[in-house]
Amino acid sequence: MRPLIFVLLIGSLVSVGAYTSTAITEAQIQTQVKEVAKTLRCAVCQSESVWESNAKLAIQMRDIIREKIIAGESPDAIRDYFVGRYGDFILLSPRALGLNWILWIGPVLFLGVGGILLYHVLKRWTSPVAMPPPVDESDRERIEDAMHSIRR
Amino acid sequence: MWQKKAVMGPSSDKVNPGGIRLWHVILSVTVVGLVALFYKGLWGNPSFIPPVTVNTVAPGFTAPSLHEARQISLTEHQGKVVVLNFWASWCLECKVEHASLLAMVKRYEDNDKFIMIGVNYQDELTAARAYLEEHGNNFHHVQDVDGRIAIDYGVYGVPETFVIDQKGIIRHKEMGPMVGGRYAYVIEKVIEPLLMEKPVVS
Repeated sequence: MRPLIFVLLIGSLVSVGAYTSTAITEAQIQTQVKEVAKTLRCAVCQSESVWESNAKLAIQMRDIIREKIIAGESPDAIRDYFVGRYGDFILLSPRALGLNWILWIGPVLFLGVGGILLYHVLKRWTSPVAMPPPVDESDRERIEDAMHSIRR
Repeated sequence: MWQKKAVMGPSSDKVNPGGIRLWHVILSVTVVGLVALFYKGLWGNPSFIPPVTVNTVAPGFTAPSLHEARQISLTEHQGKVVVLNFWASWCLECKVEHASLLAMVKRYEDNDKFIMIGVNYQDELTAARAYLEEHGNNFHHVQDVDGRIAIDYGVYGVPETFVIDQKGIIRHKEMGPMVGGRYAYVIEKVIEPLLMEKPVVS
């Protein structure tokens, strides 16, 4: 009797272990599907990710992502699969490749250049204004004579 | 210090009095460039997806026929010019283009180097069959209820039509209904030149 109870006990432990391990795997699959689907644009919606959208195409794309994750494909490989079919458009944040670099460094560049320009302009505005050279006595008399002749 | 500035001031202005400086040029070019970019963006269609699959190998598929109890695969038509048309019974623009598809198949009915395959996308089989019954049919169709074939081809709306050459390369993607000028373009500029090409002996 004892060995039977022992076997049953071990058996139930193993089955519990197996159950929890599949549960974790399912949760992991969901996490990974979400991770990939959140970075992909729903091709038939406006500004919605494949994860958020309930469009038929988005649901089918999520199914494909799920299958590919179960098959052991990496998130990057799955994204590449969709990019190969729909182009960079399908990515919600464009990759920093080729001309796309402008999108990434552009704002920083503009901010930098703008900052330098602003610095120079402000420096010029706040620098002391050039004063005219002091006028000597003979010049002052000439100016006053000229002003008198104008007023007359 | 003030005195010195006063003396230096007027003379330093003579270096570049009112001239164009480098930063003027950079700023002007940037502003003009940005305005041009935004202007161009005004007229673009934000939901347009560029056809990136053109000039790549057409994804293979084996799918159930819409009418017969058999599978149809792309590989069985290797060596032919294959026109793959994605359509659905719920798609209004597909109805607009349907007569063009029938005309195209009729035009090449004696040419065994040409075949058209319809891919019924996200549809109900009975609705799809009824649609063809109503509008006429002269070519084979496969079922793509779960959209697998469509996603493999980067389809995001119907109708979309792909022209695949004898070597299995996608040579053209037509988005929207193939009617009038577009129909003439696909026939004259895409299909005819491909049919004129000599088959590759491998």
